[in-house]
Amino acid sequence: MINIQDIRDTARDLLAKGEVRAVIGWRAGSRGMPAEPVVITAPEQADELVWDPTCYHNLALHLVEDRKFLAHARKTAGAPIGIIAKGCDARAIVVLMQENYFKREDVYIIGVSCEGSGMIAEWKVARQLDGAVPTAAAFAGDEFAFATAAGEKRLPAREVMADRCLECRNPFPKEHNVALGEDKTGRALEAPFAALARFETRSEGERWEFWQRQFDRCIRCFACRSVCPMCYCEECVVDSINIAVAPETTAEEKANRIRWIERSAVKSENITYHMTRAIHLAGRCVDCGECERVCPVNIPLRLLNNKMEREARERFGYEPGASIGGPSLVASFRDDDPGAFIR
Amino acid sequence: MSMEKILDKARLNDWIAALAKGGDWEVHAPALEDGVWTYKPVGDAVRMDHPNTKQPPKGFSFPQREVFFSFEQIKGEAPRLTQVMPDPKRRAVFGVRPCDGRGAVRMDRVFADNVNDPYYQARRKNVAYVGLACNTPPAATCFCKSVGGSPVSTDGLDILLTDLGDRYHVAAVTETGKAMMAVAGSPLADAAAADRKQVKQVHGEAVAQPQRAVNNPEAAPAKLKASFNSPLWEELARACIGCGICTFLCPTCHCFDLNDEMTGTVPIKGNRVRTWDNCQFPDFTMHSSGHNPRENTAARLRQRVCHKFQYFHENFGMLQCTGCGRCVSECPVGIDIVAVVNKVAEHVA
Ligand code: SF4
Ligand code: SF4
Ligand code: SF4
Ligand code: SF4
Repeated sequence: MINIQDIRDTARDLLAKGEVRAVIGWRAGSRGMPAEPVVITAPEQADELVWDPTCYHNLALHLVEDRKFLAHARKTAGAPIGIIAKGCDARAIVVLMQENYFKREDVYIIGVSCEGSGMIAEWKVARQLDGAVPTAAAFAGDEFAFATAAGEKRLPAREVMADRCLECRNPFPKEHNVALGEDKTGRALEAPFAALARFETRSEGERWEFWQRQFDRCIRCFACRSVCPMCYCEECVVDSINIAVAPETTAEEKANRIRWIERSAVKSENITYHMTRAIHLAGRCVDCGECERVCPVNIPLRLLNNKMEREARERFGYEPGASIGGPSLVASFRDDDPGAFIR
Repeated sequence: MSMEKILDKARLNDWIAALAKGGDWEVHAPALEDGVWTYKPVGDAVRMDHPNTKQPPKGFSFPQREVFFSFEQIKGEAPRLTQVMPDPKRRAVFGVRPCDGRGAVRMDRVFADNVNDPYYQARRKNVAYVGLACNTPPAATCFCKSVGGSPVSTDGLDILLTDLGDRYHVAAVTETGKAMMAVAGSPLADAAAADRKQVKQVHGEAVAQPQRAVNNPEAAPAKLKASFNSPLWEELARACIGCGICTFLCPTCHCFDLNDEMTGTVPIKGNRVRTWDNCQFPDFTMHSSGHNPRENTAARLRQRVCHKFQYFHENFGMLQCTGCGRCVSECPVGIDIVAVVNKVAEHVA
């Protein structure tokens, strides 16, 4: 099990030596639980860092934000930025580097292994705790320990883990500068794509009906897009500002910009949004499951992205986030490609 | 004298049926759908054991999308506009929590008192809110008491129900509420002295439940005003991902956008549509020059918090936030409006 002191010492040391200009990690939330993402810049802040089963956020997103912030402020980075990364965070960082979004030397990865468990799904915890409100969560081997007003409650990790973590084959961040915790690569507690496989036992008609209903429920808060480290486009097709506006852009051009998707959160527009997003994530989604976690109306978005991921795996033996130098599913081209149409 | 009645829980559905039949009310109540508490038209079984709903009942008077008018232009002819007014159906919404009743009061200030929004008013005058007092321990994110509310507040409601175990205490708040309680076939019975006593006690206990708090809310507007240029906002918004959850789930957010949605080109045809807007989105208040006065998450978080705790107070003399806690519990990265207001107040002289 990872000792939080090791994470803090590593971060403090890196900051003190000036090897990194900041460390992205987690600290306790204002209500104790869940943890919240934080960017620390001074060695003494290292003691704020926490590591518990509510560190579910994919911190690679905050790397993306940091890069955008620097670009807007026209600043150069200087020293690399440090980041505490779980398996899925590290996979996301790898994809971003594969896409040349950052250079490897600009990021210092402090890997943390999820070892035998992973992160909680809050709705599963709520179901099991029967009304008790946990104020803190901790790893405890095969269990999670929750502090509640009625004392400590322990629950088997498997019962309350997020689906993405149950199915995770890479809870160890392969790409790292330093790694803490045991390497448990290959440990899926459930078969990979288990939730998808269960869903696919339904007939095509039932599935279409299911998705129509789900997309009808979407309120287009765009949390799924905002939380995804892969959705880093400066201008998204769904926004009303999807043309670059320059001083010479005319009123006519602004008025006549193509509106791919209307603002109304209605089924037709929502479907277009979700289909566009799923396609843009094919071969890029690392199954951190964040989009599904944040959806306020519980739309099971992993099913969409997992479907694309499984297709890529079965047809091309492709695994997103496996190696920085490797080819990327949709952006790489080979002279000896077996498909004549592409040569 | 206020009207107080008692309803045997087993007969809740009879009252709802009477409202539908005798009062021509379309009744809605919270139902658990896909793990989400949502207001739904009532089927045969209503259970009101819900925590607060994921979305407030705001949409009954201010839906996320509504058509104002349709237009059509045949070449060579004058354009034709046809106003589309909301369905005049009367809707009774059951199980509204007191914080959301207070949310309705704030929405009314914006759309019914200050300006005359015919679409909002057409819907609002046909909606009745049947509230449900919160007499179980509050959620970890509730803070209604510190923003002037209470778990048994009747503001904005037409009727307040209080769960007394096997029966509800039913109190009329408005004339509409009285009429609903007296609807033909109503199974409500007169409240006995013991019931009145019990409800007083239950309310007292509910109000005594501890909650999180905005410290010194009276000082918040001035403190926030003084914080406008504080670098603190950048730090507070550091984790913000810029999604729209906090405002789309808020019972009092009311910013909107107008768009023309085309449905045909020959002849030109379409609808003028109002949709919710969201101060957390990057294109909110974007000028056509490309300039945006709220250009980053720090400015947008400041907008949201100051609107709730300063600007609205300046405009209407009340805090806009009702302490429902949705923006706190649903934020993907734990941005907590209570902590933000308290922190700003602490840092500003
Ligand atoms: S998906 Fe894997 S790496 Fe990510 S939090 Fe879950 S167990 Fe850890
Ligand atoms: S998070 Fe959920 S509700 Fe929000 S846009 Fe995504 S799918 Fe729709
Ligand atoms: S699509 Fe969802 S699961 Fe995939 S990388 Fe983005 S947030 Fe993570
Ligand atoms: S600001 Fe947050 S807590 Fe206040 S009324 Fe809106 S959603 Fe509820």
